[in-house]
Amino acid sequence: MLKEIFSFELSYRKKRAANYIYFAIIFLIAFGVVASPIVSVSGASGQIKANSPFAIANITNALVFSFMMITSAIMGVAIVRDFDHNMEALLFSTPMKKIHYLLGRFGGSFLVLLLIFSAIWIGLMTGFAVGKYVPWEVDWKEKEILPFNAWSYFQPFLFYGVSNLFIMGSLFFMAGALGRKTIVIYTQGIILLVLYSIAASFLADVEWKETAALLDPFGSQTFDYVTRYWTPAEKNTMLVPLEGIMLYNRLIWMGFGVLALVATYYGFSFNVVRNSLIKRKPSAVKDKATKTDVIIPPARQVINWSTYVKQLMRMSIFNFKIVVKEIPFLAILFTGMLLLVVNAFNMNQLYGTSSYPTTYSILGLLDGFTLFFIIIAIFYSGELVWKERAVNFNLIIDAMPLPSFVSLLSKFLGLVFIYLIMLLVLILCGVVIQASYGYFKFELPIYFSTLYTSTLTLLVLYTLLAIFIQVLVNNKFLGFALCILFFIVRGVMGELGLEHNLWRFASGSLGTFSDMNVYGHYVPPFSWFKVYWFAMAMFLFAVAVIFSVRGSEAVMKMRWKTGKLRLNRSFIVFTFSALAVFLFSGFYIYYNTSIVNKFVKSDDQEDQQEEYEQKLKKYDFVPQPRIVDTKIKVDIYPYSRDFVAEGYYWLKNKTDQPIKDIHIQHSIDNQLIINYVKFNREAVVKENFENFKYYVYELANPLAAGDSLQMNFKVTFDTRGFEQGGSNTNVVFNGSFFNNTAFFPTLGYNSGFEIGDDDERKKRKLKEKERMMERNDPRGLAQSLFGDDADHIRFEMDISTEGDQIAIAPGYLQKEWKENGRNYFSYKMDAPMCNFYSVVSARYAIKRDKWNDINLEIYYHPGHEYNLEKMMEGMKDALAYYSKNFAPYQYRQVRIMEFPRYSSFAQSFANTIPFSEGIGFIAKIDDPEKDIDYVYYVTAHEVAHQWWGHQVMEAGVKGNAMLSESMSQYSALMVLKQKFTPEILERYLKYELDRYLSGRAFERKKEQPLEFVEGQGYIHYQKASLVFFALQDYIGEDSVNAAFRRYNAAWKFKDAPYPTSADLLKEIKKVTPDSLQAIIHDMFETITLFENKATEASYVEKAKDQFEVTLKVTAEKMRADSTGLESSIAINDWIDIGVYGKNKAGKDSLLYLRKHKITQKENTFTISVKDKPRKAGIDPLHKLIDRHSDDNTKGLVKKDK
Amino acid sequence: MQLIIQNLSKTYSNGVQALKDVSLTINQGMFGLLGPNGAGKSSLMRTIATLQEADSGSIQLGDINVLTQKEEVRKTLGYLPQEFGVYPKVDAVTLLDHLAVLKGIVDKKERKAVVEALLHKTNLWAAREKNLGGYSGGMKQRFGIAQALLANPSLIIVDEPTAGLDPAERNRFLNLLSELGEKTIVILSTHIVEDVKELCTDMAIINKGQVLYKGSPLDAIAEVQGKVWSKRIAKTELEEYRKNYNLISERLIAGRPEITVLSDVQPDSSFERTQADLEDVYFSHVFGSAEKVVA
Repeated sequence: MLKEIFSFELSYRKKRAANYIYFAIIFLIAFGVVASPIVSVSGASGQIKANSPFAIANITNALVFSFMMITSAIMGVAIVRDFDHNMEALLFSTPMKKIHYLLGRFGGSFLVLLLIFSAIWIGLMTGFAVGKYVPWEVDWKEKEILPFNAWSYFQPFLFYGVSNLFIMGSLFFMAGALGRKTIVIYTQGIILLVLYSIAASFLADVEWKETAALLDPFGSQTFDYVTRYWTPAEKNTMLVPLEGIMLYNRLIWMGFGVLALVATYYGFSFNVVRNSLIKRKPSAVKDKATKTDVIIPPARQVINWSTYVKQLMRMSIFNFKIVVKEIPFLAILFTGMLLLVVNAFNMNQLYGTSSYPTTYSILGLLDGFTLFFIIIAIFYSGELVWKERAVNFNLIIDAMPLPSFVSLLSKFLGLVFIYLIMLLVLILCGVVIQASYGYFKFELPIYFSTLYTSTLTLLVLYTLLAIFIQVLVNNKFLGFALCILFFIVRGVMGELGLEHNLWRFASGSLGTFSDMNVYGHYVPPFSWFKVYWFAMAMFLFAVAVIFSVRGSEAVMKMRWKTGKLRLNRSFIVFTFSALAVFLFSGFYIYYNTSIVNKFVKSDDQEDQQEEYEQKLKKYDFVPQPRIVDTKIKVDIYPYSRDFVAEGYYWLKNKTDQPIKDIHIQHSIDNQLIINYVKFNREAVVKENFENFKYYVYELANPLAAGDSLQMNFKVTFDTRGFEQGGSNTNVVFNGSFFNNTAFFPTLGYNSGFEIGDDDERKKRKLKEKERMMERNDPRGLAQSLFGDDADHIRFEMDISTEGDQIAIAPGYLQKEWKENGRNYFSYKMDAPMCNFYSVVSARYAIKRDKWNDINLEIYYHPGHEYNLEKMMEGMKDALAYYSKNFAPYQYRQVRIMEFPRYSSFAQSFANTIPFSEGIGFIAKIDDPEKDIDYVYYVTAHEVAHQWWGHQVMEAGVKGNAMLSESMSQYSALMVLKQKFTPEILERYLKYELDRYLSGRAFERKKEQPLEFVEGQGYIHYQKASLVFFALQDYIGEDSVNAAFRRYNAAWKFKDAPYPTSADLLKEIKKVTPDSLQAIIHDMFETITLFENKATEASYVEKAKDQFEVTLKVTAEKMRADSTGLESSIAINDWIDIGVYGKNKAGKDSLLYLRKHKITQKENTFTISVKDKPRKAGIDPLHKLIDRHSDDNTKGLVKKDK
Repeated sequence: MQLIIQNLSKTYSNGVQALKDVSLTINQGMFGLLGPNGAGKSSLMRTIATLQEADSGSIQLGDINVLTQKEEVRKTLGYLPQEFGVYPKVDAVTLLDHLAVLKGIVDKKERKAVVEALLHKTNLWAAREKNLGGYSGGMKQRFGIAQALLANPSLIIVDEPTAGLDPAERNRFLNLLSELGEKTIVILSTHIVEDVKELCTDMAIINKGQVLYKGSPLDAIAEVQGKVWSKRIAKTELEEYRKNYNLISERLIAGRPEITVLSDVQPDSSFERTQADLEDVYFSHVFGSAEKVVA
């Protein structure tokens, strides 16, 4: 019997066209992912080959996941279709056994499912086979790919694809069989999606990663977890083995799948009528008496516009109630809210430390609900359009005397009511979340003005669109499919060259909300785009009204015939007004974004970059004079987002040759107008590259060696109309922040304008680009990290701004005055400084303090007082430590200025530190024992830059960031070390280790050793923290400080040539004993990793207060090349061996920690301790870089004597 | 007011011709539309109810052109489709009240009175607060009738209204209809001859999209009076009789077939003349040889 049912299922499916369509869709997408430019191969970029096992596994997993709809369609209906087609009574009365019926149906469907999903590997293989030869562009066409290896395709499909299909398939099968309704299947799908999102949100934090990897039903978080530290070389060669956490995850969830099947068997019953799960009390029938002899009273029928309005409201509320009563709707709503709550737990974290739940961060959190909203919008638009027909009530309603638009509009309004209420619920959730954090600054206006504008319009637009699609195609499932297709098309439109937001349905964003700048200048473009799309949606809606089916005619021709009758005057006026508004707003937007402002497509942008390089590269390193003096007057008009800058540079010829040509590169920002450039001697424009704002001036008399000239200039930043997309966030209503490199004239060719991405360069047949100059390149040694425009400069700046704002630049405030209601400030630096200065203007409150004679000031946004004390403390402790250990502080003042959260960083300029509102000002450090105080830390880091970067400027060559960023990391770490417990420090380093290891996994070009770091943050920040911390542990903090001190003394305030990492390493080597010289090589000059592991640990209680621990460990040492390819090297290192006990507070405390020389892989130690030991291990404090740092210690087993 | 249907034709996109040149004139009172399943009754009624288009022909209701002035028709229309469902999670009062608003009864008091009266009339008063999902087929049908009577329609179209009703309910409903029929046009489609016989002053028989007969039921019976012959035969003989005679009906009585034949003269002595019935008219038009199209 089983066999018959199984083969019946197969032959039934064989006849269904849908199955072939599913196969074709998956095949096409898989093929397209590989062999089309629209979607680039996920996970493959830079050094990772397109057909690397990693990329193939990634695509396989992603496709299995994305086509969950198909899985649910195949597996869900296996049983449900008998109920849908009312076959159950016929079938269940046959003598068929339940187990045969269920197993046969499941088996048959599952086999079909596997065949359909085989389209993945077939599509991928085909894609890679023909991708080189197709006539269109393919990302990897020009690049080398790996030889074909069938196992790379089969392994992920067999291990992960099939298991996922089984897990999801069993769950869908169960939902279908037990729920007996299609809707239950979908609801379950959504719940699964939420589970996945929850796992994903947990994964965001390092300390939860393993749990998340176990929890994810799809195993994709597990995949990410296992491969998170894989280097490009490994990604090109390795498959994720089915072992460890991956195996457990699969077993757990496959077990779940089996359980679902078992549950299906026991829960499923052949009874056609089921007892309802919830027993309702029969409602008491009151008032039995029926009077059949009543006379039907006359009722006035009033049909006019006011009736239409009443009818509309009635029907809207009716539709609203229908949706509200739907179980799936409630399921989506509650799972969505569950997700919110889970996300609220680890909101806005940095180093595991959370932020204050400000309204905008809660709004960011609530944004996660948008997906659910869109699902509801699309799903219930379809449901409502079809509702009357689904319950077969359509003919009655259609014969009612109400205009067709009322019925359709009521469906739309019913959904709008749903949204209004859901948004209210969301706001309530937000407020509750805030209150649960003990944060009571509820900013309801911000909630309302964001959710009821941005979110609501999005929903309104998609609802109208979905209604339009449903009405026009007049097939519910085709309608849903088209909506999904619409999303896909919208997503890839940019790739197809339609980048302008005028093409992207429902575009227009309120941008980033900032407490400082609120919605800033985003409001006008947002409003215009929404008007534009709303008008279009209204037009579509009108078309939908014409074609909406009323009665039993479904043929398009007939619908047009009836639809024509609906075209009365007001309807036509409405339709054409919508069209007119659409066109007018479209033109207005186009006028603003593309005529008044410039809209450049990314391809055109790259073309321009390429042209710049080809035309002007010849001027790279043309000898130019250097700026030695700068005086600029800047008038900022923040409320119209303009500024005018006028002033001069003194340029000095520091070469030994006369200079005839002065090359000026202006900012290419569209809003910047160059008013003039004038020299104090005769000069003419010899070459004019207007496109690139690059001008070559020829001096009538060359500038002799050692001679100087004055260059006067005036530029105006003029904001006109609005731009599409992000627009400039440097000059804003409140919180302007920009630096000289952004808008002021610079000298000579700027290689930063070149295309940096090697993949893109290869496509354009450009040579690969080195990220930085070699460490010994004399041209590099002659310029500092701030570029070749200047060495040190004398600096003066006068700034004016609005009367309610304070404007700040480096230097000391000379005077301050008011004129015409504007504030004026005059700043002057009393000693030469680097050619890097910022201009900041905002409505600030000020907090002042002093450390010794140094003025400390924080300019902050009123309301952001939370962490001012910590910042002050950070500045004081940092100044104290650095002055004592490195050199005296060169200025009499440190200022921190808050700027809006359009960027999240802090940056050090001479005596000024702009600091983003997004990173420190709202950090919430509750428990100094547990939370890493990154506000204090970032402050200390930025203050350290006053030494490393400002006192000593290093050369702009490979390894430069080791001298500014890494040294500041070390300096801040030492300040942190004085202040906080070793546990906090250890926790911090754990994050750094994770970020280093995952950073190198995404390296696009080549991983460098620290001494040659080329702008790689994961090296100069994260790896440097680990390396320098270990260094001071090995050779002593004092020795490291001594080396820093000597380096500082040797290079302080010097002009070119500038120091390199070799100069610092020289000092470090001097303070390192011979026995440890090798670690310098490991840490700075190579990429060295360890694989330390505790394998066995036990102890014997010898006597009271005498315990003998026996510990077996393995230790391995590896060298990695720039792609991450590792090779073992002999180990000969001093490594910590530690034994932990518990202190009185019940916390781990070290009973023993000492470095042992380890020279082989297998090692056994016997250690005596006085307290009861708990665990022991090798490198327990994670000082060395180890990819599996969690296996370093092991709990001790007690053994008998 | 009169409903005049002229030369109405309709062919569905799948090629089925639902209406072939149908012409009918319907006066106030009950009009019966008789025909087997699939005859085109529902198509015709949907077209009159503004829910379907015709390929050619016209329908005029008084001054109103039914095919183009749909809104006007709907104001006066009460329509009960042949098959319909309900919103399962809504109770009868709520839905009827809702529909009353859609009918344009905006005055709250009046609406309440009408809704209550109709619930009483259709014997749903006791179950008015029960969700429609829990209604039996008969109750649902009565609900359908109730909604069709909202807002004093002057054109009532009821498609197979008595299907699913028990005899008592059926009687009550037919009485209700005949009450209304005094002032309005009521078009009743059915394949149950009894319904038409009892109620209608006028009727048409329709099959395969064509009108086979139109006139009053009494005239129809008079037409075949004296021409209907019946005989009880053995089962084995049935085939032979089918071949040789114009059978208009065959039915089993206590297990033995009784056949009726339409003939001007007694076919043979074994046949007995029987009292003609509307049913005989119906069968004679639908199955019999008397197949002549009424122009």
